[in-house]
Amino acid sequence: MSSSFAAGDDSIFERLQQRADPKVLEEQQQAVNERMQAIYQKAQDRLAELIDENSTLPCTISSVQVTSAPHTRRSFLERNLSPLLSANKGRPYTLSEALREVSATADKLGRFDLFHQPISVYLDESQGQNGMRNIDVHLATREKSRVLMKTGTDLGNAEGSAYGNLLWRNVFGGAETLNLNASLGTRTRSAYQAAFETPILGDPDFRLEIGGIASSTQKSWASHEEVLKGGWSKLRWMSKSGHHHEFGYTGFWRQLTGLAENASPTVRADAGDSVKSSIFHSWVNDQRDNALLPSRGYYAKAFNELAGFGPLKGDVSFWKSEIETQGAIPIPIPGIKGDSGVSLTTGFRAGLIYPLGLESNPRPQLSRVNDRFQLGGPTDVRGFRLCGLGPREGVDSLGGDVYAAGSANLLFPLPRLGAEKPVRFQAFLNGGRLLSLQTSQKATPTTNGEVQDALVSTLSELQSGLPSVAAGFGIVYAHPVARFELNFSLPLALRKGEEGRKGLQLGIGINFL
Amino acid sequence: MPPKGPDSPPEESNASPFFTVPAPIRRLFDKFPLITYPANEIPQRLRPRHENINQLYVFADASGVRHGRPSFNPQCLKWQAYLKFVGIDFEITSSNNHASPNGSLPFLLPSLPADASNPIPSHKIQKWAIEQVHCEEEQQLNLRFEVYASLLDNRIRSAWLYMLYLDSENFNAVARRLYVNPTTSNSIVRAALGHQLQQAARDELLKTSRYIDAAALEGDAGGAFEALSTLLGKDEHFFGRPNPGLFDASVFAYTQLILDDTLGWKRNRLAQLLKEHPNLVQHRDRLLKFF
Repeated sequence: MSSSFAAGDDSIFERLQQRADPKVLEEQQQAVNERMQAIYQKAQDRLAELIDENSTLPCTISSVQVTSAPHTRRSFLERNLSPLLSANKGRPYTLSEALREVSATADKLGRFDLFHQPISVYLDESQGQNGMRNIDVHLATREKSRVLMKTGTDLGNAEGSAYGNLLWRNVFGGAETLNLNASLGTRTRSAYQAAFETPILGDPDFRLEIGGIASSTQKSWASHEEVLKGGWSKLRWMSKSGHHHEFGYTGFWRQLTGLAENASPTVRADAGDSVKSSIFHSWVNDQRDNALLPSRGYYAKAFNELAGFGPLKGDVSFWKSEIETQGAIPIPIPGIKGDSGVSLTTGFRAGLIYPLGLESNPRPQLSRVNDRFQLGGPTDVRGFRLCGLGPREGVDSLGGDVYAAGSANLLFPLPRLGAEKPVRFQAFLNGGRLLSLQTSQKATPTTNGEVQDALVSTLSELQSGLPSVAAGFGIVYAHPVARFELNFSLPLALRKGEEGRKGLQLGIGINFL
Repeated sequence: MPPKGPDSPPEESNASPFFTVPAPIRRLFDKFPLITYPANEIPQRLRPRHENINQLYVFADASGVRHGRPSFNPQCLKWQAYLKFVGIDFEITSSNNHASPNGSLPFLLPSLPADASNPIPSHKIQKWAIEQVHCEEEQQLNLRFEVYASLLDNRIRSAWLYMLYLDSENFNAVARRLYVNPTTSNSIVRAALGHQLQQAARDELLKTSRYIDAAALEGDAGGAFEALSTLLGKDEHFFGRPNPGLFDASVFAYTQLILDDTLGWKRNRLAQLLKEHPNLVQHRDRLLKFF
């Protein structure tokens, strides 16, 4: 600081150095803001007025310009933008119609994930033919970087891993993406994945994905390692009301290997190679206000898969269905205005594997350990160890063909933090059953008739006695990336051999029951 | 199935060793679960096994398992024959190398409940058998055992590997049918597995020599048969034993498979060489009666 200058300058420096009164500053700032607001508001009003007055004014769009799209194919842009042009329209727009169409097109272009959001739209007016007003549209686009590389390490879930990811956008200039992923970890020993995705018919909500994977995963709950190689191709589409669909084909070569010394005979019998060739469909409708910590809305998912049947071939054959639902309702507390932050969340999941015959062997093919469902753990039925529910042999969770699980969680905001913070205290009760297909004589089904009988008797077995249930309480934290739960729980009812967990349990995930 | 969703697999926190639960709380904890129902039924894709019989996991087809016929894999057949010769009761289970604790068949799952869950790999089967039936450890009785055993493990095995895996006609007619086709119905995976098998055999042969010379391998095997024939002489069993033992099982494991026409060999030079020694052929015929 220079405070030792000539005396004459002192006053200026002093004045300059003197801290402005914060109050005065604030007032000034507010005045500026208000003025800006007023100008902006006025402009908006004027614009609205103008559009309103001229909303029925006939006009044409003669050109659409995209400011910057060096890596995007011209034909791709043309396909998406040319419908705007009046030349392709047959009749003139009204002004409001034109504006609506322009904004819809800009929005559609944005959904290709090619450009930085938002895409600003500028309109220019020129005199058109027949004395009609003519609009030239400028879309101020800026392409997102074409190649995105990411490497990092992940820790958590008793698993540490390192990964590398390469995302190549706009591969052929038509909003195609190529995603390469490699990771090495303690549980997922290694995974290499490549997926190519392209919009179909220039529709950002209708995509085709083709991918392949090679991975090796430690499945300690059933004493083995699964080595997977395979690929898939699927169509994905989204309806206007937010229903996501996927339909596709998958083919996987699975190798159950690296058995632990004390692996159970059932896992030993399943060791080796098998090929699954299947078609599947999944439907998701997510209407929750927040996927990780919902306070209102619902989520529903249905998954169906047909493997090995008829021309699909392969070594396993079954029909597999799974449903998953979650609902949340806020609970108003008298005396608190607005959202109290208290909410009730309920979840329900169920699944079924129905053994089918193969072309080469029409007898029903009973499920293998790598196709069966597993249940239990801190992200589904809390208060049980990972895959701690269902049939068990020795140290192994063998999985089951039929399951149902439900939970009810009551969430409260913490006193000091309040409802705005993504932290809640929760009390929960959850439970479920996981069963293998058994005929009414408690035998393994061998014919199609017996499978039907087994399905009926297994479904009724689901309701015999209480489900395996645990209750507890804990803290939930919804980090933007994942949800963390630290719970204290006690099992109330279980089947002999099922592994309840008394005490603390940490859950990290994005999909909780 | 599509690849697993991005939800991370859950984890369980481990109890800290520095924290012990006070007794009253522990007593409260012990009350949970309040209800324990009987265990869930176990899914059984494969025919339920007899749990009270020793199970030897070998390469075998379904009918081989049903009738207890000799395995088509020499290593498996050696131990299968040995257990039969020393009089141990067992059943065979069709399996593959992935099921084995050491990555290769055979292994044995004993029926005794105390160690039922821990499988015995092939190199420990003899020790286990000696404990069970107190038979002799033949290696100790005759110094020449190891010398002659190495003939089998090197010369005859190399010629066998060549004949089964690297002779393409035999590979397609025998090895593919026995080892590859039962694992999967998918032709791409079959091709990959077949390639892996052949490559493994090639690597094995290149461990001991710089190149693979079929004529030399066959010549070596012929010499080995000659030596074994001389060793056996006019005896019923090797080393003049009254009952067949481990060495007889080791020889039988190859002679049986070389002479077994039902395997469908396309070219079987080893059988021609073996048939030059009638005492070895008779030895095989005698031991086959155990099955």
